[in-house]
Amino acid sequence: MAPKLLWLKGIFPALVTPFDKDEKVDEDALRKLVRYVLNDVDGLVPCGTTGEFPYLSIEEQRKVIEIVVEETEGKKPVVAGTSAPATHQVIDLAKNAKDAGADACLITTPYFLHPSSKGVYQHFYEIAKAVDIPIVLYNIPQTVGAYLPPEVVEDLSEIPNIVALKDSSGNLTYTLEVIERVEGRIDILVGCDEVVVPAIAGGCSGAILMSANVFPDIWQRVYKAVLEGNLEEARSYQMNVQKLTRIFNRYGAGLAVKAALNMMGIKVGKARGPLKIGGTLPHEVMAEIQIELEKIGKIKFPDIKFSFPEGEVEHRFYDIGLSPELIKKESFRVGSGIFGDNLERVQVDLVAGSKNSYLGFIYAEQFTHPRHGYEALTAILEPNLMIRPPTLIIPTVELKNLRQANMVYGPGQAGVSKAIADAIASGNIPLKVVDDELILIKLTVHPKALNHHLLYKNVYQATSKAISEAFVVTRR
Amino acid sequence: MSKKPEWLKGIIPAIITPFTEDNRINEEVYRELIRYLLPNVDGIVTCGTTGEFIYLSNKEKINLLRITIDEVKDKVPVIFGTACPSTKETLELTYQAMELGATAALVAAPYFIKPSFNELYDHFEILNKVGLPLILYNIPQCAGVHFKWWTAEGIAKLENVVGIKDTSGDIPFMEALFEKVKDEVAILVGHDEVVVAAIAAGADGAILSSANVIPDIWREIYHAVKNKDLDRAQSLQTKIQKMVRIIARNGATQAVKEALHMMGFNVGNSRLPVMKGGVFRREDYEEVRSQLEELGKIPRKDVIFDLGNGKKIVSKYPAVPETPDVVNNFTIRTGEAFSGPPLSEVAHTDLIMGLRGGPVDEAIEKALKRPDSKSKPRIISHRPKIMLVPTVTIRTSKQESQVFKYAAEGIIAAVDDSIKMGVFPEQILDDIVIVVNVFVHPGASIRQRVKLNNYKAMRAAIRKAIESRPTIDEIIREKEAYRHPFRYAP
Repeated sequence: MAPKLLWLKGIFPALVTPFDKDEKVDEDALRKLVRYVLNDVDGLVPCGTTGEFPYLSIEEQRKVIEIVVEETEGKKPVVAGTSAPATHQVIDLAKNAKDAGADACLITTPYFLHPSSKGVYQHFYEIAKAVDIPIVLYNIPQTVGAYLPPEVVEDLSEIPNIVALKDSSGNLTYTLEVIERVEGRIDILVGCDEVVVPAIAGGCSGAILMSANVFPDIWQRVYKAVLEGNLEEARSYQMNVQKLTRIFNRYGAGLAVKAALNMMGIKVGKARGPLKIGGTLPHEVMAEIQIELEKIGKIKFPDIKFSFPEGEVEHRFYDIGLSPELIKKESFRVGSGIFGDNLERVQVDLVAGSKNSYLGFIYAEQFTHPRHGYEALTAILEPNLMIRPPTLIIPTVELKNLRQANMVYGPGQAGVSKAIADAIASGNIPLKVVDDELILIKLTVHPKALNHHLLYKNVYQATSKAISEAFVVTRR
Repeated sequence: MSKKPEWLKGIIPAIITPFTEDNRINEEVYRELIRYLLPNVDGIVTCGTTGEFIYLSNKEKINLLRITIDEVKDKVPVIFGTACPSTKETLELTYQAMELGATAALVAAPYFIKPSFNELYDHFEILNKVGLPLILYNIPQCAGVHFKWWTAEGIAKLENVVGIKDTSGDIPFMEALFEKVKDEVAILVGHDEVVVAAIAAGADGAILSSANVIPDIWREIYHAVKNKDLDRAQSLQTKIQKMVRIIARNGATQAVKEALHMMGFNVGNSRLPVMKGGVFRREDYEEVRSQLEELGKIPRKDVIFDLGNGKKIVSKYPAVPETPDVVNNFTIRTGEAFSGPPLSEVAHTDLIMGLRGGPVDEAIEKALKRPDSKSKPRIISHRPKIMLVPTVTIRTSKQESQVFKYAAEGIIAAVDDSIKMGVFPEQILDDIVIVVNVFVHPGASIRQRVKLNNYKAMRAAIRKAIESRPTIDEIIREKEAYRHPFRYAP
């Protein structure tokens, strides 16, 4: 056998399939997407998993491939997804793809029913025999429910028109095993966005990636950096997009990538049902995607006006009905703490007093009258583990989206609760206070806070300082 | 040839190992528990999985065996768990068991490093030489090895192997055992959730973790099946299924211990790394407690509700050891509880209760005067007066019905059952008002789950508000290990 012409190198986006309002393939949007990625990629992959191939008819698949081929103008190869459960179905799809102008086709392990290794081999063997188009094998156990057995890949690599394997498992022991078994007869491409750098450094010839819809430029830089041996540079790029690729991978692939593209102004519509935002992709994760896109410069940070409360601490509770005079008259404990820098800077203003004092009314009122965007929350260490003395956290900056809410009610709440628990353990909050008093905390968190871990630590420090002022320094 | 012994059948608890505060075996409580169990059981398994054999030294295991034999006094067989990672160690422990007078050894597959099936067979062939009757123990959930039926069949042919305990819950596996070796060895089910099915299909008995808690009910179920009264057996199993599912799936050891603790047995906790509020979650605690209350297993005591306005009420309260004798300071009491699954339909209820005319009541009256909106808090009950406050701003009518119809129905049902149980005494209905903050995820779909989860969470929140839980001790014990679900980046 003459050596195969192996040309699958570099970065390939697994294109989403844009839909219009009537759920028809949106040709204009697809052309726009192709133009957006074209310069930064080495080829295109329509009708893959990210392209929602199981939700497309054969006619739609043809249309998508034709549009991509036409818009690409032969500048880059097009590898079309042609997967189905049955062998004869794949043969029809692959012929269809070739007629539509695809340069190769991408075929998953057969799914739903699980054939034996023999059946899997025969599947690809029959397809390769029946079609006149290069074939890329596709290992994606997350959706298929089974791995493409490495021994089967070893044997399939001898077939002339099988040219590559895409491995989306993210399991590098599998990837390296097939690289070793095929001895260079076919290319191995990584299909898991979370492990691109180690996979390419380990011998993959390229990557077919869902996130290459969104930032093909970054992946191209990663690819070149690894090839040039600049591993440090490659790692830093990978780390910069690691959270975003993890989100894409875990929250619905095409669904999540579409959400990102829509935020960037490349309007690709919704995913087809049953997938939906609010289901596989929760609303709070949508907001995380937005922040990550801002971080890598794909969308702009909108300006946000807010300020940290200033002046005497006794003056910071007017909005919940406490005046400095009242605080003084009732001898409430007050304290304040500021900790951290930049986006993770945190301020905590605390007031505490007896349940039977006026503070009881304030507490009950804040609990019963949530102000939209400033909803108070009872502090818990975790669900079913409320902190004592009962503590309400009131955000001072309006919570405009679920992600911001997550930052305040997640790392924010955890930091407050841990600080109180530690203060009880250390005696900074005396035990007799636990049953008799209530705490109200006004928590100021930057609306653009990025780092959950740092925010948690800063809230902890700021709360500890406020507790110390309120309970230790001014102990009465 | 049948080696099936006459004594290996019926209901056999896998007894827990009680520990003292400083983590030593609590012999006194252990003996007390054996005495509680004996009238209703056909044997005792000591040092099984529920007995935390894996956290015990061989010396401690031997000590437990001695105590068990002494306390049981030949009334029922004593079966002793001897599984260790290596053949040598298992062999030594099995010899010791025979010398001390154990009736049989229960032997799980060697764990951590997983042997092949021919090595497993060899392992049992070596143990077979001891001469003590052996029970093969299939527990893939923990040992990591699921015996193939042909391996189990081969081992069952060894002369001293008298039984197989299958904890996998894999009924097709058990059916294969019936087909191959039913006449030769006893087959016992070890998975609490499938007892009726397994016994009806031909199992000789059951070795169960939950039989520590409800040996009497299991005995009734066993006899109902054997007497061909399947309707009775099924209805009994259904009645306890929820509790049994929680125990079997959420850390049998700690779960059983907490259930026994609720009933008044001072059995302590599991050894680390199993911890309170860990694999047996706090929501499981509340759910098991509700189940035990309904089964009448939690003793009642007189609890005084001192409202502080001169009114004092005595309630026959289903009390755990932590329940206070007097509940007072009703200005503001707080209770919080969470219940799942699944993700979208979780319930998080957060309540304050107080006296009519007090700060909580005043907050309710003020809230009623606010301008109308979809999210405006509503009164969902007048006796007691309960105001429901949605935690998430309501934007759609679907959300509105999830909160004010389905969640509200669950909350009212929880209050009704708390009244029925004496946790929230009838006599204080006119004195106490409640504000409950209800979190329903905007993505919630399954209405039935929204209702049930809110029911469960509200029932727990009321109990916690009355009992001032979590206690400071609980907070301090868990303050390092706590896992806040939203603290981390996705």
